[in-house]
Amino acid sequence: MKRSIQALWLCLVMTGPCAFAHHSFAMYDAAQLLTVTGTVKTFQWTNPHVILWLVNGPDASGASDLWTLELPTSPGVLTRLGWSKHSLEPGDRVVVEFNPLRNGAHGGSFKKATLVDSGKVLQVSIPPPSAKADSDAKADSK
Amino acid sequence: MAAAYLLPGAIDASDTADTADTASVINPAPRAKDWAALAKLPDWSGTWSPAPDDRAFPLGKKEPKWLPDIARQVEQMKADDKAGKPQPVFVNCLPEGMPSFTLMTLNAQEYLFTPGRVTILGEFDGNRLRRIYTDGRKHPDDPDLTFNGHSIGHWEGGTLVVDTVGLLPEVYLPLGQSVAVPNNGDMHIEERIHLVGPDRLLDELVITAPRVLAEPWKISRAFVRSRERKFDIIEASCRQGDFFENKDKYGNVIFSPVEHEEGGAPFASKP
Repeated sequence: MKRSIQALWLCLVMTGPCAFAHHSFAMYDAAQLLTVTGTVKTFQWTNPHVILWLVNGPDASGASDLWTLELPTSPGVLTRLGWSKHSLEPGDRVVVEFNPLRNGAHGGSFKKATLVDSGKVLQVSIPPPSAKADSDAKADSK
Repeated sequence: MAAAYLLPGAIDASDTADTADTASVINPAPRAKDWAALAKLPDWSGTWSPAPDDRAFPLGKKEPKWLPDIARQVEQMKADDKAGKPQPVFVNCLPEGMPSFTLMTLNAQEYLFTPGRVTILGEFDGNRLRRIYTDGRKHPDDPDLTFNGHSIGHWEGGTLVVDTVGLLPEVYLPLGQSVAVPNNGDMHIEERIHLVGPDRLLDELVITAPRVLAEPWKISRAFVRSRERKFDIIEASCRQGDFFENKDKYGNVIFSPVEHEEGGAPFASKP
């Protein structure tokens, strides 16, 4: 990717990937959190994983890169978390944080997107256990 | 079989019960009382997602006691994953099978009760499903081997007791997305599925796999219920994400393959 990518921080404690199907996310380097400002080409709303296709650039020389940023889950689960296929639209300018592929190919594991125009932040966050689930869990332990 | 001994949800197959395990048996048309009996079963309607406090894969949660040779394989897979070279366990889009259907899904499931059968519909990687026969039949003597096996069940109060055999030897005993061992044959799974709270369902499994496990693996997974429509299960094809929308030379909209690295992750290009 271009020079606009910056290594932000080094994770000393790697959290487990919340991948939903098909493959481990261990091929992404969770110790590197990179950020890039780019333009959405396609927000691919497909099972088992949604994919953000992002154009990075053009830079001063006019060059640009196309990247896939894989979300760790599916349209069904994302819908339940409040996303939709319109959460990101082609042409949206976004700042994306991601873990890059270890092999250097133009792919990454999506972590967070911030829309440049609106400031809206999109993340895949699994909700903590609800109070209701907690009470049910207590019933479970009886 | 006398109707008085019927379990809830079982078809009163008294006309054919004596031949219940013969090849010529039919599935009798359910009668009004068979449908009415379903009302006595516990309410498992709604959509069930892995409980937020029980989303973790078996890896690090409750691992089985492997045979020594298998244990060495498992440790190698864990090391490979930690080194960023995960084994591509579930990347071929074949059904995950049991027990992964229960232990590995992070998507929603739903239960359908019909006379003589419980059907579990999943969203995990392609709308997988299980059929659990509650009509009193036995397992076939020589079942065709399948990914989810042949399941028979009965109700003990509010608990669905399920027995599953006939699983393909290639079907995994999973610890995680990249750590899993084929059962290698003769796997047997017993389950007790029951409510443990108003909106919490627990599936307790005892898995016997003598070719890889040193002792039966006892593990459970909890699911929580949602009734909001946004939780409705959707069509979830296994491989659609392996393709992107493209156009052919005529302008027709077609699927074109996304490139993937060896572990199964997509990428746009190599620099």
